[in-house]
Amino acid sequence: MIKKLVSISLLLVMLSLLGAGIQAQDDIETYVLGIPLPFTGSFGSFGQDFERGILLAVSQMNAELEAAGSNIRFDTASADTEQTPEGAARALQTIAQTTGAQVVVGPLTTDEVLGAKQFADENGIVIVAMASSGPAASIPGDNIYRVIYPPDTFSSKAFATIALERGHENMVVLHVDDPFGNGMNEQFIANFQAGGGGEVASFGYAPQSTELSTEAAAVSAALAGFGDNAGFFCVCFPGAAQAFVQVAQVDPILTTVQWMGNEAMTTLEMLEDPGHAQTLINANFVTVSQSAASTPLTPIFNADFVAMFDKEPGIFTNYAFDAANIAMLTMLAAGNDGAAVKSMLPFISNHYIGTTVQAYLDDNGDQAIASYGIRKVSDDGTAFEVIGSYNGNTDTITYN
Amino acid sequence: MPSSLLVTSLVNTIQIGSLYALMALGLTLTFSVIKLPNFAHAEYVTAGAYAALIISLAGVLNPLIIIAVAFLVGALTAVVSHLIVFKPLERQNVSLYTLILASFAVGLIIRYILFTIADYFNIFDLRIAIPLQILFRTGSLILTNLFAWVAPTSIVLVILLTLLINRTALGREMRALANNTILARVIGIPVERVKNYTWLLVGGMAGVAGALWGLQSAVSPLMGWAAIISVFAAAILGGLSSFPGTILGAYVVAFSENTIMLFLNFSYGVDLAYKPAIPFIIIIAVLLIRPQGLTQLLKRAGELGR
Repeated sequence: MIKKLVSISLLLVMLSLLGAGIQAQDDIETYVLGIPLPFTGSFGSFGQDFERGILLAVSQMNAELEAAGSNIRFDTASADTEQTPEGAARALQTIAQTTGAQVVVGPLTTDEVLGAKQFADENGIVIVAMASSGPAASIPGDNIYRVIYPPDTFSSKAFATIALERGHENMVVLHVDDPFGNGMNEQFIANFQAGGGGEVASFGYAPQSTELSTEAAAVSAALAGFGDNAGFFCVCFPGAAQAFVQVAQVDPILTTVQWMGNEAMTTLEMLEDPGHAQTLINANFVTVSQSAASTPLTPIFNADFVAMFDKEPGIFTNYAFDAANIAMLTMLAAGNDGAAVKSMLPFISNHYIGTTVQAYLDDNGDQAIASYGIRKVSDDGTAFEVIGSYNGNTDTITYN
Repeated sequence: MPSSLLVTSLVNTIQIGSLYALMALGLTLTFSVIKLPNFAHAEYVTAGAYAALIISLAGVLNPLIIIAVAFLVGALTAVVSHLIVFKPLERQNVSLYTLILASFAVGLIIRYILFTIADYFNIFDLRIAIPLQILFRTGSLILTNLFAWVAPTSIVLVILLTLLINRTALGREMRALANNTILARVIGIPVERVKNYTWLLVGGMAGVAGALWGLQSAVSPLMGWAAIISVFAAAILGGLSSFPGTILGAYVVAFSENTIMLFLNFSYGVDLAYKPAIPFIIIIAVLLIRPQGLTQLLKRAGELGR
């Protein structure tokens, strides 16, 4: 009898403890942050690094929430966009259907963002993109917010202003044939010609290209056709940029004109080949780059990243960190509801200063403050150094 | 089209065509002897390129050593994929479709292993670190040290392979297998050993092609896959079983992608972004109009020459 009583008592104690545990578990409300990014493909390393930036933001936010006694925690759910529009749509669908996530940080490129747009709009899921800049995704009223990184309407104007300031009468553009590259090309032509520039010859290359000797030959011939005072503008992804510089460095025309290039060209891998570095130095290569911007939070982010992952963050990783923070702060204010987040996000974003610049959104939900560093290759060819700045809101260049 | 552009495009045609020939011959050999259109072939190219890149980053800049290492790694990758996947599947007498699907799977596995290695060592979009130098320049004709390595190495390897196939005992055994595997087994040809050598040669040549490709482009885990459609187009144009046809096919594809593409761009404004469509057009055109490829044309030309 005593044994029975003891057993029943123990059982009751265990059940009550279990119940308390369940109760405690129930008290914690978990918001899921989706991470649709390219983890494979040529942007796989960017995607993985961006994911680490988001995981760092989530980890820090959860620690602060716990310390503050909040019952809200954030969890993440990642899916590979495979660097394609269809892959991005699939990734978003997978995240939404398996976790019920209402907000995602990603995808990466404009192509992917546009691929995920329809599913996001139809299902009330908010996309917080951190690196998409193609004008094609500047759409008012949809569920896409492109925070921190401004659309290429600003950078294309910066490049046009620099080209005109350099005295280029005509330009040749080589651009990746996707919404980002096409948008940048079109905006550049419009700004260049509006500022008094002459003809622009454009050549698109297929995004999957790894060998660009045909393109280099065409660019060279077009530059030769324009004669003196023509400049070259490359809107290329890193791998293609390497392939292009490889063949361009012995071209008699391309080695005698001035070059400009988009930010993605300015990876340190580009400078690992001394021949490539020298080619860019000789071409007086410049880029405009928001990654040059920093705040007092930037070194803290860098140190925290190294502490957590034992490696340095990539060139744009803090964009993902900031985008995740904007998304989480909005969810803390608006709750885990897509419609409420959509309504609240511009207000939160417009009051956020992270590791890059002041976030501020225009009517399209795009970053509206653009402050770029103008960078060139250092004289020893080992780094890209800031030589000036471009204020996108006043269209003014200031050199150091 | 300006003459300078024509000259540049023809140099590119020779350089890229030689690389396509090197890759496509391996594909043709696999199809002839192993009876498999192997989609994992692209990854043997990439494996060789990464082997070459890694040892060049380690400070080895002798092109011969780089090419030798690329050959070994490509060969090893091919032989291992044969021993682990294709050989067991052949023993089960699976259909050709199953083998093709398996080749896709093997390719994906190798590709993602390479992605993991590249991510761990942060070696994306890097070039094999042999400096580029101009060896010869006259007018618009510029020949670099890379051209001097890529074109002759490819051509010499193609010649050596052709000699091996036509003039050696192993080559005779390979041709016997290509002709009739059962009969070859009946007459005492060591079929498995010949297949092992075939995989070794195929992978090795793909590895060398990867190293040479990495000299003029950036090495990434997708580089082999990006080239494979052009390589298949060359092999199909060659009739999938003829070495001379495959070599000719490789140069025709490279000529189409370079000279014809530039002509279309210059004369009719066709965007260069359509360049990747060219091998697809060639594949479809060959399959619709001349499924046997250029083989019969070459035979006829040979007969006329006698």
